[in-house]
Amino acid sequence: MLALAGAELVLAEGPAIHMDGGVFRVVGWQAGALPAAGWSALLSVYAGVGDVPPLLGTYSVEAGTLTFRPRFSLSPGMHVRAVFQPPGGPPVEAVFEIAKAAPLAATTRVAHVYPSTDILPANQLKLYIYFSAPMGRGDAWRHIRLLREDGSAVALPFLEIAQELWDRDNLRLTVLFDPGRIKRGLASLAEAGPALEQGKRYTLAISRDWLDGRGAVLADEYRKDFRVGPADRTPPEVATGQVTAPQAGGTDALVLHFPKPMDYALLQHSIAVTGPSGAMEGGVAVASDETEWRFTPHQAWTAGTYRIIVQTTLEDLAGNHIGRAFDVDTFDRVTKVVTQETVDVPFQVQ
Amino acid sequence: MKLRLLTGLCLSAALTFAAGFNMPAGKVTLKSAGALAFGPSGILFVGDSVGASIVALDVDDRTPGPAGASLEIKGVNEKIAAMLGTAADQILVQDVVVNPISHNVYISVSRGRGADAVPVILRATAAGKLTEVPLDNIKNASVSLPDSPTADRQRMETITSLKYADGRVFVAGLSNEEFSSSLRAIPFPFQTADKGTGIEIWHGSHGRFETQAPVRTFVPYEINHKTSILAAYTCTPLVTIPVSELKSGAKVKGTTIAELGNGNKPLDMIVYTKGGKHFILMANSKRGVMKLSGDNLEGYAPITKQTEVTGVPYETIASLKGVQHLDKFDDASALVLMGEGASLDLRTVPLP
Repeated sequence: MLALAGAELVLAEGPAIHMDGGVFRVVGWQAGALPAAGWSALLSVYAGVGDVPPLLGTYSVEAGTLTFRPRFSLSPGMHVRAVFQPPGGPPVEAVFEIAKAAPLAATTRVAHVYPSTDILPANQLKLYIYFSAPMGRGDAWRHIRLLREDGSAVALPFLEIAQELWDRDNLRLTVLFDPGRIKRGLASLAEAGPALEQGKRYTLAISRDWLDGRGAVLADEYRKDFRVGPADRTPPEVATGQVTAPQAGGTDALVLHFPKPMDYALLQHSIAVTGPSGAMEGGVAVASDETEWRFTPHQAWTAGTYRIIVQTTLEDLAGNHIGRAFDVDTFDRVTKVVTQETVDVPFQVQ
Repeated sequence: MKLRLLTGLCLSAALTFAAGFNMPAGKVTLKSAGALAFGPSGILFVGDSVGASIVALDVDDRTPGPAGASLEIKGVNEKIAAMLGTAADQILVQDVVVNPISHNVYISVSRGRGADAVPVILRATAAGKLTEVPLDNIKNASVSLPDSPTADRQRMETITSLKYADGRVFVAGLSNEEFSSSLRAIPFPFQTADKGTGIEIWHGSHGRFETQAPVRTFVPYEINHKTSILAAYTCTPLVTIPVSELKSGAKVKGTTIAELGNGNKPLDMIVYTKGGKHFILMANSKRGVMKLSGDNLEGYAPITKQTEVTGVPYETIASLKGVQHLDKFDDASALVLMGEGASLDLRTVPLP
């Protein structure tokens, strides 16, 4: 006789399948010797509907009870069917509906998009999108659009890498503009033109439908309006004249000014300070639309000669490195080639 | 001219290699599982971008597969999701590769999409049976890549393509910070002292502009006993680079043999021979699957004028739409993971 017990369909007498804390147990049946084909020949659990393979998991016999532990916790809302085939007896089937998750509050936002400035060079290389909470992977490109002033979308402006360039915690996505539309002399640039045209206005639009790491939509759509200036192919330089030196005895910030905005992420860790007693420890801040690098030491400045050490891998917005342009025009006279890995900027603290 | 896919090692060579590896058995904890590649003797390489490492797994799968086999698993992503106790939209199939010895298929999957996603490696047989490759006690070796992510540093290098050739694992990656183009060549068996210094790959456009050019995907091949890689840059050109030039610390400029046009991002490439001729099959993000002549690759004059949109002749295979991953299955078939909607099929198709 069949009886309905909750969502569970069981035989009134004989074996039954129970699920408790995500673990499946065959009760009312004494497990004997391991069958030649393994326990999976007797008990299988299926998640989802239709013709699906059984759940991965491990079988054990605990106090005579055949037990199945799924490899992963069952996701909320899953429809689960367990089938037990006792040797010589009729099959026993039980259906379980895993509780649906409570509706998720839309709380995750785009915290900031770098560069902060609203004037980007026509050969802008990348954007960093910072989120207030971890995002979900694998669906980015549908949600990021570059819109012209008339609201039409620029086709394929970005390098749509399937793997998506996230940081470890899914808090920051790096978006590269398609280098095939930036690098000069390529068929793709001739065919499609640049993604960004000088003198025009654009909006970076990030859709609210993008799901965060919990599966909730974003709290708001995000829009960043900007206009496009000329392409920048001038390698950035650093010199003592760009330094605002602090005074001895205090912990005021040392400031390195750049004549144009620099790459926000690289500014965080491409610059170090050494002084009379060696490497300085302190906190780094980036200000004024990424044109200022500020260093606040943990200990007060003392008078003497210091050096700011800048790695030449530091890039501006167009991917020009310290001392080397993003794309080197080999027809141009090369006036300066920087091959060293760092550039030193000396300054005095008085 | 002789051209062949290097992973198709003959069995006797494979067994010789197997005796030489001696990787210790133990538990492998992957932080992520992305690009996959097979090396000698059924060694599976797994690119772990989050863990900043390449892990070699002896998947103990060296029984030669039957000739003329085929495989079809419809809705493979839905089936995998069911095995992992979740919905199909909660998994990401990262890569699929074929073991050149057994012709079993290995699939890297992420269960979950958030930062807490769990990597899983699965095996699919020609009969369509899917099983998990257990990592609790498996012969393995790994090598760390430099600059692994730390709590206070968000830099991460995403491994976009992984291949084995001539005793080295080649790793193409893309940084989420600096625009660099390091291709790593890591000797295998891994040696602690040599993690494979980066090789800077440059693109010379029409002899005028030089830029760093990250490699998105590549395939090794052999011409006249000289191994080269055929590589697709993120900026679209298709180039050849002799492997002998890929030395630690070198700056290498690929020879452009084709420009495949805007929006056409190569995803996977294979090299094969049919009717005595050599071909390259390439899956692209926007323009379907392309078949290129692989004959006389080294004989093509490098593209030097902007008017030449393509160097090597190619045709588009109309019957293959929505191909996301591609690998060589055997001498007659390719393996594809394809689908234009939410459901993905894993199947063999005759080499065109």
